[in-house]
Order: sequence, then C-alpha cells, then structure tokens
Amino acid sequence: MTDPWQYLLVLAACLVITAPLEILGPGVYRQPRRLLRAVLPIAAVFLLWDEIAIAAHVWTYNNAYIVGLSIPLRVPIEETLFFVVIPACALLTYNAVSTIVDWLRR
Amino acid sequence: MTGLGYTVPAILAVLAVCAVELGFLHTGLFRRGAYWLSMLIVLGFQIPVDGWLTKLSSPVVRYDAHQISGLRFPFDIPIEDFLFGFALVTAVLLRWEQQRARR
Repeated sequence: MTDPWQYLLVLAACLVITAPLEILGPGVYRQPRRLLRAVLPIAAVFLLWDEIAIAAHVWTYNNAYIVGLSIPLRVPIEETLFFVVIPACALLTYNAVSTIVDWLRR
Repeated sequence: MTGLGYTVPAILAVLAVCAVELGFLHTGLFRRGAYWLSMLIVLGFQIPVDGWLTKLSSPVVRYDAHQISGLRFPFDIPIEDFLFGFALVTAVLLRWEQQRARR
C-alpha cells in the first residue's frame, strides 16, 4: 500500500511541480549557499516549535500516513523535510515571479 | 478552545517576522509586488496541499481541538496554518533578500 508514503509523496509532488521554475532568471538551486543560508536557520526555529507542539500534543501525526522514521526527539522525517521543501518551493516561486515582473517592466 | 497552544504562537510568529523586517532588516521585501504575488501563488498551492494533510476524513496531521480556534477553512484547514505558512515563507524570503542586500 502507498498509504505510509502519503506525506512524502505530497512533498515530492511539490518539488516536481516547482522544479521547472529553476530555468527562470538566476534560479534558486544554482545559488546553493544562498539557498541553505536562507532556509536552514528558519527551518531550525520551526523544528523547535514543532518539537514543542508535538511534545505538548498540540498536533500529532497519523501513523498510517507517515513512513515511521523521525528525528530526535519526536518530529517525523516528513515534517523535517517539510521545512526544507516548502521554503525551496516558495523561493522558486519568488524567483520566477521576480524574473517575469522584471521582463514586463522592460 | 481553551489553551490556544497553536493560535497564540501562530499570531506571535507573524508579528515577529513583520517586526524583524520593519524594525531591523529593512530589506524592502514588503514593498515588492513580486513578493505579494508570490505569496498569493503560494497560498493557492497551500490550499490543496494543506487541505490534503488536514482533511478530517483521513488526516495526516491531527490537532488538539483545545489548542486551535476551531475555525477551519477552506476544506478542514485550521486557519492557524495560514499564519504558520506566512511566517515560515516570509522568514525564508527575508533571509534570501538579506543576502542580496549584502552583495
């Protein structure tokens, strides 16, 4: 069954859909240092929030739809990847929109 | 709806991100049309993705009813998720812009 892969597949779909945007302008993946410097510190803060929320049972994950791997202390691997994947998709969107807006202004 | 353990931090996160930009970073991100247009596009994709993760019929993520406002829209998305998403994406874009300014 694909059920345990649901959350990972959703994240993979986000990466696949946004990947073509890389061809526009200066790109995001072509600036790996800038990408990591933008994403990692913010991901760390949100992971801390996530750890606290999970520990306090503010939200929980359905074991049927995650693969079962997690990072210390309790955050599922999918949620950890979420904080890298979604910001990367947002940066690709912003890069693409900025490039197109610049074209239109010329 | 008692503890609001998600609602309160979500509001604070948005305020904190805005305060950092307006009081400290001054990247000018909020004055860029491309930012607001990007946020609209991100919102358009958040609805199906988040809607899938939070649907009450078979949720991937479950929320303690006591810790959220209980407002779920559209689909079954807790409205707090939109504040969370705004704070996450804006914070990353601010750091991206900050590195442009440094060059």
